[in-house]
Amino acid sequence: MRESPILRTVARIAVPLTLLLSLRIFEQGHDLPGGGFVAGVLAACAGVMHLLAFGLGRASRFPWWRLSVLGLLCALASGAVPMLTGSTFMDHEILDFALPLLGNVHLPSATFFDLGVYLIVVGTLMTLFVELGLEERRWNS
Amino acid sequence: MTALTAVVAAPFVAAVLIAVLGRALGRWSALVMLAAALTSFGATCSLLGAASPALVSLEWIPSLGVSFRLRADAFGAFFALLIAGIGALVAIYSLGYDTHSLGRARLGRYYAELSAFMGAMLGIALADDLILLFIFWEITSISSYLLIGFWYEREAAREGALTALLVTALGGLAMLAGFVLIGLATGSFALSEIVADDSRRAALTASPAFVPALFLVLAGAFTKSAQVPFHFWLPGAMVAPTPISTYLHSATMVKAGIFLLARVTPLFAASLVWPWIVVPVGLATFFLGAWQSLRENDLKALLAYSTVATLGLLTAAYGLRVPEQDALQILSHATYKGTLFMVAGIVEHAAGTRDLRELGGLRKALPISFSLCVVGVLSMGGLPPLFGFVAKESLYGSLLDSSLLGAQPLLHGSVIAVVLVSNAFLLAAGLKLLIGVFFGPARGARVAHGEPALLWLPAVVLALGALGLGLASATDASERLVNGWSSAANAQLAVSLVPTHLGPFFLSLVTFALGLALHRFRTRVEALQQRVDRLPDAQKLWNALVVGLTRFAEAYSVWWQNGSLRWYFSAILLFTTGISLFALEAGGISIASLHVSFGNLGWTSAGLALLILMTTFAVVRADTRLGAALALTASGFLVALVYAVYHSPDILLTQILIETVSTIVILLVLYFMPPFRKDGLSPALAAWNAAVSGLFGLAMFVFVLLCTNPAFRETRNLGQDYLARSLGEAGGRNAVNVIIVDFRAMDTIGEITVLVVVGLCVYGLLRTRRAAG
Repeated sequence: MRESPILRTVARIAVPLTLLLSLRIFEQGHDLPGGGFVAGVLAACAGVMHLLAFGLGRASRFPWWRLSVLGLLCALASGAVPMLTGSTFMDHEILDFALPLLGNVHLPSATFFDLGVYLIVVGTLMTLFVELGLEERRWNS
Repeated sequence: MTALTAVVAAPFVAAVLIAVLGRALGRWSALVMLAAALTSFGATCSLLGAASPALVSLEWIPSLGVSFRLRADAFGAFFALLIAGIGALVAIYSLGYDTHSLGRARLGRYYAELSAFMGAMLGIALADDLILLFIFWEITSISSYLLIGFWYEREAAREGALTALLVTALGGLAMLAGFVLIGLATGSFALSEIVADDSRRAALTASPAFVPALFLVLAGAFTKSAQVPFHFWLPGAMVAPTPISTYLHSATMVKAGIFLLARVTPLFAASLVWPWIVVPVGLATFFLGAWQSLRENDLKALLAYSTVATLGLLTAAYGLRVPEQDALQILSHATYKGTLFMVAGIVEHAAGTRDLRELGGLRKALPISFSLCVVGVLSMGGLPPLFGFVAKESLYGSLLDSSLLGAQPLLHGSVIAVVLVSNAFLLAAGLKLLIGVFFGPARGARVAHGEPALLWLPAVVLALGALGLGLASATDASERLVNGWSSAANAQLAVSLVPTHLGPFFLSLVTFALGLALHRFRTRVEALQQRVDRLPDAQKLWNALVVGLTRFAEAYSVWWQNGSLRWYFSAILLFTTGISLFALEAGGISIASLHVSFGNLGWTSAGLALLILMTTFAVVRADTRLGAALALTASGFLVALVYAVYHSPDILLTQILIETVSTIVILLVLYFMPPFRKDGLSPALAAWNAAVSGLFGLAMFVFVLLCTNPAFRETRNLGQDYLARSLGEAGGRNAVNVIIVDFRAMDTIGEITVLVVVGLCVYGLLRTRRAAG
């Protein structure tokens, strides 16, 4: 695939911006529109933009599927943690605690579950994109 | 943690440790396993002297009455001692065996699986909850599968492993069904409670599920302990490395079925059906195993069939209602058969073959193995002063005194005759092994290695057990031991090295004479065995069954999963339509009851609806796939605008992003699609497509209309409930997200798991295809 210079220039700025936006949307998810799923899809969009602009090279060498598996483990672990204190599986709690620089932190343990969703969405979509892209390259050659 | 939990937990901890550190530990993983085995052994010993059996009971699934319940009664503890003790010996033996045979890279796997297996076996021995017992049972099936298939690049190993897994797992499932029936009939899954409580047992006996439960549980026991007609998997499993054969397929796992029989004997043995099934199966297995054992030329196959024989004998003992024999026979068998398997391993290790036709005259080259083999074979053949003699003597005593058979002299006589002949065959098989390997002229095989101490030390321990227990029978030490460990309450078995009764001694003499005769005329016996071809060959039947099932599955899959996207899509749409309409029908909801008005639609919405209609029309009319894809995207974004109009930012955001991503995916996939031939569509197919999509659209339309109608929304408004609880209980103001990650997190778990699996499938399918082509 021949990458266009215009797309590259735009992508250099747009990809990091989209990723930042995705993080923001993930972070606000518990209170405002957003959350792991949408943020993950957005991050995958940034990934696609990168693939289109710069080609498959480095992105195809990253084991994206491991990100999915990591996400699933993260989600399951967040569900299992309440079991340690005698609650049932997936009975999320809200952690309120103070950190040195950040002050009081309001952290529902469901956030880690959401993080798992985020990782899974990014991992699976990127796997799809990279694999289909590689397939296309093989057909062309 | 109590000692009882530690017994079961230690091997599992070791398994995890080895699995993680296996690469770094290499062959020293054996020491981790050894430590775990010794821990379990020690912990079991500490439980032995207790006045009442140690008990651990934790709630597990209280709603079903299932608990994590371990209990160490005498028989269970005896079994656990055997498992842990032989486990320790096998760990040492493996250390001597591993370097050249197992392969450095797989040592971690080997020891981890072996440790996990040991833990599961200990679990079976000590589990007091039927469901827990089943779970440990299945873990042994799975770890046995992995261990038999240890050299998985060999076809025979894969086949043997799969057969063993299918047979034992199938039996395990039957057993689970039986356990559930028992649990339903008695109201409890706790084995010791059911056994101790007369009213529970009476409820089981009176229940119509009694006979089915009996059959199902027996299916589990018979498959695991390789009873006829399920015996064929055990010889096939001998492709495993010798330490594994020693441990799983001689000393422990195959005895799990026997153990299960012991556990359920108090529930079932009083019934009339019990002896009529268990005795014939057991005796048939005993005889067939002994007969086949004498035919084999492969050392391990010979030993495997003799193991099958002994398992048959034990089964028959439960059927004949002499369960007090079990501890004695199990102990006797474990000591000599473990020794012989280890000797077979040493011979194979040294000479590079296990074939009796290539072995001979190794007496001088392998002196230690020779002496061990003598002890093992003499005990197997039941000669004094070894423990095998004592065990056989006692068995004959029990058979002669049998109250079950006493009234029927014909049956009584034939049972004794079968046992006697089978024992003679076993003696002859033992002599064949001993003389074939160590006497006569040296044949093809040369001894390349000596006898490493790590290999013969564990065998020496077992052989000394066979000898020591035999000698101890001169006093009443062995008698007290086996009576205390038996599964029968108040066992009063007479065990003595010095023959006390004439009958059993006479039978022993006859056995001995017959065995010697079989050996003396071995060429004629062989000729006879050649003529009687392998009796009903269950292996072939089983293979035919498996092949038939696979063919059926293939044919079905090719028909149903035919690769046509249109077919898949039609199926999905029609199913969804059907189930939606069914839901409406079942709920008694009709579209006719709705009052539909377009009054408050508004110009914006009406305009949007019109645009959506136009783009949808464009999708259908497009001449190229690209055109259709773009029109579809346009339609999707217009739908997103609808969400904007109705103030639903969450779904709006999701819809826009999903539209974007799915367009990209479609564009990526378009490349691989066959040419877009709309003109080639036959009228019938076009009509079918239109009908399916029209029906689906209509169903969805009705469904959405009903869902949004106030008449149905107000009845049980989940939304209000979620909104109210969102901030307080889950600490989030965005109820949509809170529902996904908290209130309905279990649903989300299911969805994300599917997502991960889809990703892995795409990765696996495309990568392997690219690698292949």
